[in-house]
Amino acid sequence: MNSTAGTSAVRPAVMAAPTNVLIVGVGGQGVIMVSKILARLSQLQGLQVKQSEVHGMAKRGGSVFSHIRFGNEVWSPTIPMGEADVVLGLEWAEGLRWLRYLKPGVGTFISDTKRIVPPFSCRDRQHDARHGYANHSVAEIVNQVPSAFAPDATGMATQLGNERVANTILLGILSTVMDFPVESWREVLPEFVPPKTVETNLKAFEAGREWTTKPHAPDLNETSVVQHAMPTSRREVNLEITEAWCKSCDICVKMCPERCLALDDHQIVELVKPEACTGCRVCEWLCPDFAIAVHVSSVPIVANQAGVSTEVSA
Amino acid sequence: MSEMAAPLTPAQKSTDQFEIRDYLRLDLFPHFLCPGCGHGIALRALLWAIHDLDIEKDQLAVVSGIGCSGRLSAYIDANTFHTTHGRPLAFATGLKLARPDLHVIVITGDGDCLAIGGNHLIHAARRNLDITCIMLNNEVYGMTGGQVSPTTSLDRFTTTTPLGNQEPGFDACALATGAGATFVGREVTLQTTALKILMQEGIVHRGFSFVEVISDCTEIYGRKNDLGSSPEMVLSQKRSVLPKFDGSAVDKPFRAGNWDTGVLLRKERPEYYEAYRAHCHRVLGDGKSK
Repeated sequence: MNSTAGTSAVRPAVMAAPTNVLIVGVGGQGVIMVSKILARLSQLQGLQVKQSEVHGMAKRGGSVFSHIRFGNEVWSPTIPMGEADVVLGLEWAEGLRWLRYLKPGVGTFISDTKRIVPPFSCRDRQHDARHGYANHSVAEIVNQVPSAFAPDATGMATQLGNERVANTILLGILSTVMDFPVESWREVLPEFVPPKTVETNLKAFEAGREWTTKPHAPDLNETSVVQHAMPTSRREVNLEITEAWCKSCDICVKMCPERCLALDDHQIVELVKPEACTGCRVCEWLCPDFAIAVHVSSVPIVANQAGVSTEVSA
Repeated sequence: MSEMAAPLTPAQKSTDQFEIRDYLRLDLFPHFLCPGCGHGIALRALLWAIHDLDIEKDQLAVVSGIGCSGRLSAYIDANTFHTTHGRPLAFATGLKLARPDLHVIVITGDGDCLAIGGNHLIHAARRNLDITCIMLNNEVYGMTGGQVSPTTSLDRFTTTTPLGNQEPGFDACALATGAGATFVGREVTLQTTALKILMQEGIVHRGFSFVEVISDCTEIYGRKNDLGSSPEMVLSQKRSVLPKFDGSAVDKPFRAGNWDTGVLLRKERPEYYEAYRAHCHRVLGDGKSK
């Protein structure tokens, strides 16, 4: 503890039950950092804190969550379903995935509207693949949860010059719904962020607080998943095979990740599964005889042809 | 007297689509290499690097020696020079000193560069003239019928080692490092994009750059040693490399199947042509430096 312990005189109202905050996101977004800040803050207020997390998903895209419970006396480190006072989502689908942990009708839902589409949700391996990302619009969610904040924190952070301070913007919003004195937040924050980014982070914190003071109608156009799932163009791949140059070495057939090439009766390579070809160019790069050329072009597609995403798996 | 070629900037552009036929002498195709020979992949990587560096064909000179690798220069539509066995670096040195405005790239093989041309390699590296030496290492003299080469791994069979090779091989990168090269790198052909980037960095580097390409000789070496078909050979090469970043080339003894790849050495030392001209200028004064 450092000098900030002096602020512990200001204590939140005596809480019979612990306050439950669930922080969720994907690897690399700072879920753990945010929960450390909150935990330290609670300690400085003289409260008991228990924190439990699943981490190790540092590879971007892995799901990460952190339960924080603080109060005069805390026993279990995990939050039961439907008991979270606050769900803080650093990523939209993760926020939605954990929404059912929120205390119905009472809890506060805070989530970035930034969408990080995990590769494994893609339906096929083509470019612009259809994917199974959450197709709920922001308005739909915000209207269902009485107390919901859904800023485009990543966009705001980019404007501040560092995309990575999106988590601090959300912390700023969180600070408006918690009882802790705002000075404590400003004191604790620099302890956990890299020294070079303290200034940007403090700015981001204020930006988050400021965001809550203005009324916000969710911007449907900006965050519509449906738009995201419907590309306006499609990649068309053509393989040009110079048969006279092919020497049947088999490298392209064995290396093709989609297994769409084969040798024909004359031991010359041919494209047997054109629909599976993604145009990755591995065959072109590895053909020692320059017999394969991959031509990729962009073809516009008409609306409604692309698949519509299905709902998020919860 | 021509001016030194302007320093290249590492290419900002990185294309994944380029028309390789613009850089080939199409009347010579299909080329003479055996099915599955890694040299073809290395040639693509080189042409790709040249394309991304925006080097004009007129500003490019490719010098090669004798052997399978030596034939590659003939397929490149630029100034090419097919020289005597082991001497491409000697020819390239003369060429670069006479025409410093050219980007001189040497394509050589393991036998060409390390056995017959071993002396030329160490002295070219010592001088640090701005040449890029691309050594295609397939561990064997392929064109002459599969004789043992200075990089043949232990216990491998060749026509001259019917009981298995017992000579320890050269670590070409360590040799070039020891001789004073200022850029040394190694890559396998399967990593075509990494190989292209490595070659690009080697060409951009001001000074003697040495790039070793682990290539495969399926027909003559692979078959005799039961190393499998060409896809199996390139995959096993990929499995036996240890990627490195700007480390030291000589901190690990060379063993077959344990190659360090990537940029192994990058350092600054006066480039020979510039240092030589500056010296002449100092000694002879203005206007007489020729």
